[in-house]
Order: sequence, then C-alpha cells, then structure tokens
Amino acid sequence: MIEVRDLVKIFHARGHVVRAVDGVSTHVARGEVVVVIGPSGSGKSTFLRCLNGLETFDEGHVVIDGMDLADKKTDINLVRREVGMVFQQFNLFPHKTVLDNICLAQEVVRKRSRQEAEAKARQLLAKVGIAEKESEYPSRLSGGQQQRVAIARALAMDPKVMLFDEPTSALDPEMVGEVLDVMKQLAREGMTMVVVTHEMGFAREVADRVLFMDEGKIVEEGPPDKLFSAPEHDRTKLFLSQVL
Amino acid sequence: MKQKTPTWPWTLLLGLILLTVAGGIWWATKRVDYTWRWNRVPQYFVYRAELVEHAPADGRVVEVRTDGDDAVVVFESDTGERTEIRVDVGTVQVSEGEDLFEGDPVGARFRWRVGPLTKGLWTTLWISFFSGVLGLVLGLVAGLARVSKNPTLRGLAILYVELIRGTPLLVQIFIFYFFIGTVLNLDRIVAGILALAIFAGAYTAEIVRAGIQSIPRGQMEAARSLGMTLPQAMRYIILPQAFKRILPPLAGQFISLIKDSSLVSVIAITDLTKSGREVITSTFATFEIWFTVAALYLLITSLLSQVILWMERRLAVSD
Repeated sequence: MIEVRDLVKIFHARGHVVRAVDGVSTHVARGEVVVVIGPSGSGKSTFLRCLNGLETFDEGHVVIDGMDLADKKTDINLVRREVGMVFQQFNLFPHKTVLDNICLAQEVVRKRSRQEAEAKARQLLAKVGIAEKESEYPSRLSGGQQQRVAIARALAMDPKVMLFDEPTSALDPEMVGEVLDVMKQLAREGMTMVVVTHEMGFAREVADRVLFMDEGKIVEEGPPDKLFSAPEHDRTKLFLSQVL
Repeated sequence: MKQKTPTWPWTLLLGLILLTVAGGIWWATKRVDYTWRWNRVPQYFVYRAELVEHAPADGRVVEVRTDGDDAVVVFESDTGERTEIRVDVGTVQVSEGEDLFEGDPVGARFRWRVGPLTKGLWTTLWISFFSGVLGLVLGLVAGLARVSKNPTLRGLAILYVELIRGTPLLVQIFIFYFFIGTVLNLDRIVAGILALAIFAGAYTAEIVRAGIQSIPRGQMEAARSLGMTLPQAMRYIILPQAFKRILPPLAGQFISLIKDSSLVSVIAITDLTKSGREVITSTFATFEIWFTVAALYLLITSLLSQVILWMERRLAVSD
C-alpha cells in the first residue's frame, strides 16, 4: 500500500542543515496499522507529512498505491484524496458547520451531490458518536469532539490510507479516550493506518508494527509486544524507560 | 468586591466639552463678521425651475382654454400653421386675438429640478462605487499575486504596491489624466475612476495579503490533504476566513476612497467637492456650503460603516 525507499528530507534553518528524515525505508501493507514513536524532533511527523506530500522531500521515493510522489507526472491531488490525514490541531474549517466541514471536500473534490455528501457525513458523524452536533460550528465543540469531526472529515473521502499526526497530543486527558476509541474501531475495520503518537497503550493494543525513530532514522521496528518488552537497541531502551 | 462607579459625571463632562467647542465656534464666527445665509443652501439640492414658453413664429393667439392644471394656448402663425402650447394655469401672459412676434413669452411651466449639490453627490457616489469595486478586484488579484510562490507574480505585485503607495494620489490623478489619458484617449471620468481604483487596489492588496497570511497554516494543509487544489483551497477555505478578518480595515479603505474621490475635482469632474466650489462662486456662501459638503461626505461614510458593521455581525455567527 505504502512503499517508502531511502526517504531524505533536509531543512535549512539559519545556516544549519537538519536531516529531519534521513534515509527511511519501510513498507506498509494493506490493512496494516503502523505506529511511529520516538522523541520530539526525531522526524516522525515530518516523515508522516512526506507520505501525502504536505512536505516535499529531497531524495528517495514514496509510492502510495502504485503512485510515486517523487515522479513529477504524479498529480499530488489525486494521491491526497486517497490518503486521509488527521492533525494534532484538528484544523477544522472554523467558518463552516460540522456538516459542511465534512461535505465540502466530497462535493468539491469527489464531485458528489449535496444529498450524497450529507448522507455520507451523517453516517460518519453517527459512527464517531456526535450525530447531534452536525449544525454546530467547530468553536462550540470540545477538543475531543473536534478531533472526531476531523476524523469523519478525512474518512468521508473514502481514503485507502489514514495518517494520524499526534491526534491526541492537543487534547485534555479526559478526551483522549474518545478519540482513541474511534481509531481503534477504524483499525478493527481493516483501515490501513500510520499513526504518530505518544500513546504507548494505543500502540501496544492496536499496532501491527511499531517503528521507533530517532534523529531521522528508523532505529528499530517490530511487533509491539517485542519492541516494548524486549527492545534491542540502547536508544530504544532509554526512550521506553522514560515514557513507560 | 466590584465597585460600581457612576458614569453620569463623565457624560456630563463630555456634554460640557462639546458645548464649549460649539460656543467657541459660534463666538469665533461672530468675530469675523460673517452673515450666515443657510436659507440659500436648499435650492442647490432641488429647486423649482421656471421654463418660459415662447411664440414659435410671428402670428396670433386663436384660443386660450384650460385643461386640468394646464392652460392651452392655441397659436396660429402668419403662414397658417397651428400649434398648441401648454403652460401652467396662472402664468398665461397672452389673451385671445392678441398678435405676437416670434420669441414673445406666452406663459411658463414650473418643474422640480435637481441642483448642483445633488448632482455632485450622485457623481461622487458612483465614482466611489465603481472605483471601489474595481479597486477590490485589483487588490484581490494583487494580494494573491503577492503571496504567490511565483517570483514574477510576486515581483509585479510588490512593484505595483510600492509604486502606488510611494506617490501622492493627486500626482497619480494628474498623470492618469494628462499622460495616460492622452496616450490612450481616455475620458476624464474613466481616467479619474481608474486612478482611484489603482490607488485603492494597492492598499487593498496589502490588506488582502495580511488577511491571507493571518490564517493558520493548518487550514491550507487540511484543505490540501483532502485533495483540494490550491485555487479550491483559496476559494473555499482561506479567502472566506480572510475576508471576515479584513472587513474592518477594508471598510476603512473604502471610507478613505470616498473621501479621496474629492481629489478628482482637479481634473474637472463635477463631483461633490467641485459642485460645492461652483455653488460658492455664485452665492459667496462659503462657510455654509463647505459645512454642507462636509456633512454630505460624513453621511455617506457613516452609512457605509453601518453596512460594514452589519456584515461583520452577520459573519460572526461561527465565532
């Protein structure tokens, strides 16, 4: 589903050259849930943002469902409609109601009729458990509710892959659970997911594979049971001892 | 505990200050020995014009009869041609059988006519309107070019803004009228509207740019991550939000534009200001006319601010 080969992303900041992603190669199979963990500044968010072209990369290849992002002929917009993304700061459209947030891209990008888009939106709102909020504006919702709307908005495009960029990091602790529940349900339904998170419990419970990144490189990867209980690298051990 | 301070002493003080200012002005005008003739002002808004009807040729009045509010004078020229002349009852100056020469007054009609101040106000209104709309379009295009990644577009936008902001509007109007107007053979009205629009557009471009840049980056990223193209994201996500934020500065810009439109009077466009000057030359009621003109500008601009305020309140529903 996702094929990443030798991905390199370099930032130039005030004379410093930062290799934010430094030669990452991995493969995500259809229906697989991959969780990316690592310390702040390890390049995991940058890596995730390269997967749908929000961040351009300097070297390597990202192939989504047969479409290579490094190929100049690839229409990035065609790739993105197959790749849903959920952001740390939700990024709902504040000038539109919850329903319009979910309908807009369906109508504009997928060219669905208003009725079709609304039916889809209502079905997804029911799925994430906030059907009664459809005519509210995002500013009237709690963080957890906003993030669930954001997930519904991404799902409305019928994506083949969902990317989550620290979806619970901006939430009050009591709202983390409701968002994680939605994500767990998605994983059970067989959605292909790449999740950057600090929620180790979620990684342990849902992930098929965990990637540990540090300084732009994948230090260690493996099934969660093995990675969490018997990490091989010292860096992984140190990180896990600090967060668990 | 929260202490409730009474506000009435301050209201009273405000009233006192305003009274003092008004009194000062009254005293000052008394000193300059000026006779105020406010009664002469209204006729420059509307007046009843007397249109005198004349005999079309040498001839004779055959008949005078009344027809409702009109008097009908039937006139027969020496060559035998009959004409009916309609005038207001009570203005008839001829009687049946009277001989007339060509050009003799027969009677008159009174009609309401709009005066120069009303015409000037109307000119100011539509010149401001057209240059405002054009300026908004120009500003939007230049503002978008200004935030574009393309160096050519960005360069052009910067050049435009800097060029216009760095030169006085009065000079721009002269250049537009005397140079560009001559080269392209433009009408003075077109030259005036274009100069104002291009001037307003440069400032609007900066407002639009600031508005677009004030929208968090996440909004564009969210829109693009859903597969929207850059123009789609701009149209549906960024610009509607930016527009809401830039409404107050935009309102200020349009109010400025209405006031700046008084400068087109220098290229002989008879707007409100020029009408005022013309009226003064025939009345010498300098003080009254300038106060009236100022009040009219104030009226238009405060109406506009009310409209914008209403729009702001309507757009605030999503806050």
